[in-house]
Amino acid sequence: MFAEKVIELLKEAERNPATIDPFNDDKIRQILEEMQSLFKMNMNDANATMENKTLWTTVQVRHSALERNKRCLLAYLYNRMNKIKTLRWEFGSVLPPDVRELLSDDEYLWFSKYSSNLASYMRSLGQDIGYNGIDLTENLKPPKSLYIEVLCMADYGKLELEDGDVILLKRNSRHFLPTSECQTLIRQGILKQIT
Amino acid sequence: MENSNYLSVTDILVTNEKIPCKFLHDLPKMGFLDPSAADNDLKAGTNVEIPLWLAESLYSRRPPLVSVELPKIYKDSYREILNADACTVDMHKLNQHFYELGCYIAKHDIKGEVANTLINTFRQRFRMLLSACVSTDSVGAIQPLSASERQQAADAGSTEKALATWLQRGDSVLTTANMVANHRKRKRAEMEMF
Repeated sequence: MFAEKVIELLKEAERNPATIDPFNDDKIRQILEEMQSLFKMNMNDANATMENKTLWTTVQVRHSALERNKRCLLAYLYNRMNKIKTLRWEFGSVLPPDVRELLSDDEYLWFSKYSSNLASYMRSLGQDIGYNGIDLTENLKPPKSLYIEVLCMADYGKLELEDGDVILLKRNSRHFLPTSECQTLIRQGILKQIT
Repeated sequence: MENSNYLSVTDILVTNEKIPCKFLHDLPKMGFLDPSAADNDLKAGTNVEIPLWLAESLYSRRPPLVSVELPKIYKDSYREILNADACTVDMHKLNQHFYELGCYIAKHDIKGEVANTLINTFRQRFRMLLSACVSTDSVGAIQPLSASERQQAADAGSTEKALATWLQRGDSVLTTANMVANHRKRKRAEMEMF
């Protein structure tokens, strides 16, 4: 049957809607091979329709299969692209190495470009009224207080605050920090707010 | 309609469902489409189950290569069950994408009864779904849901929960981003496996 591999590929990706899977270039290569062979068979049969008129129906069926394969591949790439966009907002501009290796080289290139585009957009915001940019990835929830108490979940190392103080973020240590300085770390899962 | 969800994975999975079709022309070298045929060619007039995407695209050719027939679950006997009481039906077993597939099938049904059944079914089941979602524990008690209904139930559940926390505290706790948390959970699960 046609276009079965590509459905496997999509189902695999669909199983984990909230995380990103490794880029499956092996399967994509197989699908492209299938498309190549369909295209070749179609070329042969299209040239042979001169003698055998009934062949046009077969050509139509294969052509539909080609279009289907194309659509599914595009959908696969598009859905990954949306996830990569989310990566930028949730992990920040630098991906941890274990996430980085899930992307293909081209996808990583796209990520870097998207990241720099977003950064230059955020820098340009409010320039006409004298500010030099807003970080849109901050304050996704309305801040309720200036300082919050946080628990450190991982050995992060030193963190320099805006007032010059340097604190050491060690696993299981507790801190009382300005909300603006720790919300990025909270989103990255290094700190946890204690309520 | 066809182009609006070109990139939607759900629509791709819906169009992957098999539906019965009748071929109107001979198809040389396509004998493998019919598992019961030993011949290399597919003869006109054979009834074969083919995926919806293939059927749709062959049907839209001029002249059409196939005529689409109603799948079993949209036929009279099943329609009667659905019209009588849709809430007792196991949608998961009947078809994962009952409504979405139905929308495609409805245009091949000249009498328009499939369309009516779809609306009727949705009306009955949505009311049931809505009342079940308000109380968190009863979603499990109703008959298994189709894929889109499960999504609706999950959305309703999370909205309900968000409202409840907001009413209680009026405060929004900063949390780890969704994808980061899930990535970590998955990594941990993989580490434990090896």
